[in-house]
Amino acid sequence: MTPHADPAAPAAPSAPGSAAAPAEIVVSLEGITKRFGTTTALDSASLDVRRGEVVVLLGLSGSGKSTLLRHVDGLERPTSGTVHVLGREVTALSGRALRELRSEVGFIFQQFELVPSLTVLENVLTGSLAAVRGPRLGLWSYGRPARAEALARLERVGLLERAYQRADTLSGGQQQRVAIARALMQRPQVLLADEPVASLDPESSDQVMALIREIAVDEGLTVICSLHQVDLALSWADRIVGLRHGAVVLDTATEGLSKAQVMEIYGRVATSTGELEAIELELAGAASATGTGSAAGAAASGDAVR
Amino acid sequence: MTAVTERPRTTDPVLAPVAAPPRRRVSPERVAAGLTIVALLGLSVVALRSVEIDPARMLQSWSNAERFFGRVGAIEFSPLGELLQLTTLTLGLVICGTLLAAVLSVPVAVLAASNTTPGPVWRAAARFVTVLARAVPDVVLAMVFVLLFSLGTLPGILAIGLHSVGMISKLFADAIEQIDEGPRTAVRAAGGTRLQQFTAGVLPQVLPSWVATVLHRNDINLRGSVILGYVGVVGLGMEMSFAFKSLDYGLGLGYALVIFVLCVVMEIVSSSVRAAMLGVAPTGRGLGDRVVRRATRRRTAGASAAVVPDAAAPVSVDSMLRRPWDRTRVRNTSWGAIAVAVVVASVLVCDVAWSDLVTVWSGVPAVAVQFWPPSFGSYETSTMVAAMGETIAIALAATLLTLVASVVIGSLAARNVAPSRGMRSGMRLLLVGIRGVPEVILAIVLIVVTGLGTQAGTLALALGGVGLLGKLIADSFEEVSAGPERALAATGATRLQVYAGATLPQGTRALVGHTFYMLDTNIRAATLLGIVGAGGVGYYLLNASQGSNYGAVTAIVLMILVTVLAVEGLAMWMRKVLR
Repeated sequence: MTPHADPAAPAAPSAPGSAAAPAEIVVSLEGITKRFGTTTALDSASLDVRRGEVVVLLGLSGSGKSTLLRHVDGLERPTSGTVHVLGREVTALSGRALRELRSEVGFIFQQFELVPSLTVLENVLTGSLAAVRGPRLGLWSYGRPARAEALARLERVGLLERAYQRADTLSGGQQQRVAIARALMQRPQVLLADEPVASLDPESSDQVMALIREIAVDEGLTVICSLHQVDLALSWADRIVGLRHGAVVLDTATEGLSKAQVMEIYGRVATSTGELEAIELELAGAASATGTGSAAGAAASGDAVR
Repeated sequence: MTAVTERPRTTDPVLAPVAAPPRRRVSPERVAAGLTIVALLGLSVVALRSVEIDPARMLQSWSNAERFFGRVGAIEFSPLGELLQLTTLTLGLVICGTLLAAVLSVPVAVLAASNTTPGPVWRAAARFVTVLARAVPDVVLAMVFVLLFSLGTLPGILAIGLHSVGMISKLFADAIEQIDEGPRTAVRAAGGTRLQQFTAGVLPQVLPSWVATVLHRNDINLRGSVILGYVGVVGLGMEMSFAFKSLDYGLGLGYALVIFVLCVVMEIVSSSVRAAMLGVAPTGRGLGDRVVRRATRRRTAGASAAVVPDAAAPVSVDSMLRRPWDRTRVRNTSWGAIAVAVVVASVLVCDVAWSDLVTVWSGVPAVAVQFWPPSFGSYETSTMVAAMGETIAIALAATLLTLVASVVIGSLAARNVAPSRGMRSGMRLLLVGIRGVPEVILAIVLIVVTGLGTQAGTLALALGGVGLLGKLIADSFEEVSAGPERALAATGATRLQVYAGATLPQGTRALVGHTFYMLDTNIRAATLLGIVGAGGVGYYLLNASQGSNYGAVTAIVLMILVTVLAVEGLAMWMRKVLR
């Protein structure tokens, strides 16, 4: 994971399983270090993401996943290192140029971050703020075309009939789908998702991850999503990037992973031997339930490629 | 160790060798705070003696009062048409003033809140404006504006508006600082400007509390409008002051009764507006909340089911572009329409001479010269200092009386202390009833009963204070952790032992905080009660103003300002130390 000397001409792709004609790199982090006081959140982390890729950042809480994502959107400034997104150097942007970049990058939060007292539709409409000038107060201030687009986005996430309800009357899974509609309202090229399903029950988690994956394919979005569950990562990602203590410790395509490699992923992300043993036990239990261990591993990696 | 040996537990061989426990270190600041409290208590006792509250004399004066009431005859009212016109004028003036403050407080609060301020200098400036606006009494502002604009509604509107900015913007800034930053970050991440982050991410979160604060302030301003009448602000208060000045006590008390009823009605209205418009259930702050809660109890059960729309109905993007006229929308729209109507009506009623706002500036230098330099003029400086001392004594004595009464009533009104539900409800009702009476009205009635002087002022403040402090004490006692209480009860402690051993120690900190808040409020109120003749520096303030001795007005205001700020600083320091 050495930083590239020249961002315009990057070295060989870090994902070994990429297609023969690799797409352009849309997100490039080079040697990002971020310190908050004495703690180091990111430790010279580097990452290149190509257009259309679905990358999952894997790691325990505190491993630096959120901080890394926030650097892509310019919500944080690195202590050292540079960030390039969509051909622009984020670290050098400010004011209008930074806001323009942010509007092309959608962000989905763990806690949804909707305004609870506003209607669902108004929450979706706030995604279009960067495209208009000045503040907006109330539904009607956004204009009919914007409202029609917002309703279409809501239809896309299956919540059209909820448009005029208060956001806090919805379930967690529904609120996250509203947040996705809000991000789509920006017409983004890159979608960042910070633990989008950590506050949801398993069923809603699957729905939300399926929706993100579907939309990414339909709209040709580049997705960087942080998760802490290995199984979810294996089933939804093209590529997994493991973080530990703010450093990139793993970067691999999910296609054709062997059981041993899956175990290695668990091992790299885990922090202690105790944790590792617990994971192994769990894996063994799952394996004996479905059949032979290697078959289960193969099945898991097979799922990952849709 | 000798004390420890009394306990049977120490016979345990494991515990026996333990040496004397290390002494708890007490910071010098806490010692100073403790000494300050003791000193203030001592001063309050001295003050109580100095304000000449004498039960024997009061009994005597009660017979005076009976004779007095017999002589003035029954309470009389002015003709209904005139009364209605005065009532609408007072309401319109108060609402316009509160609205002005509401608008002005938005930028002040945004600058004062740590998470929205552009920089520390802006923040300090905004905080200064907040403190200053609160410290200068609205009566003093009204005196100045009456001089500038002569008669009309503008002096009252401006006085209420500028003074109320202090409280509204402080509470609004607090609300902004307490928001969930998430939605704001979401707008920022979507490329929103700072202004858009505020309107889309912050404002919707704080709007309910802002509206609630403004409505609450409107109630306070309505009570305060009585005293504004004494310095020439038109409305019910001015008519009342005229009646009392011409010794027409029947008519004056009639106006007082009308104002009291108006205050109660307004509280009920503002409480129902809060409940209906914001979907905030009344929490029991006052008489209005109680009435509204009782009235809406049945309705709310059925209403919640109607929120979810009919899922079976087919919807499309086109059909959804038109927002359905469901219950929520009908409700919101009608409340909005009513609010707009009230605002428009208030502005129309006030019949503001807008041109005055332009022409007034030419008169400012002439008036400013009259107010500067500050000087006591014909008054002796020692008289003035004594008067200020009297005001402080009234506030201290009233706070002490309030504290004693409130601890008893407030405790009995707390669910976890009251011996029975009936007792609790009775005490709560008593507190609510006391809070319904404007302090100025209380003072005026007491003056009628006991004669002019410090006694009436002290009793008015003490009585009025029980309504607030008793409620605050009851609430904070109810909020203490129930665990220690249960633990003590489980050891077989009596109700009184549980109260003394678990409830009171846990509630002490809140008790001290609330009492200092009370003292802070009382100092401000005590300076004004003199205007209606209830003792202290307010009397000289009104005299100086009416005798066109404006240098003295400035000097007295500066004296009040210093005292109020000193007490506020003391209260802030105590809250910080005892946190």
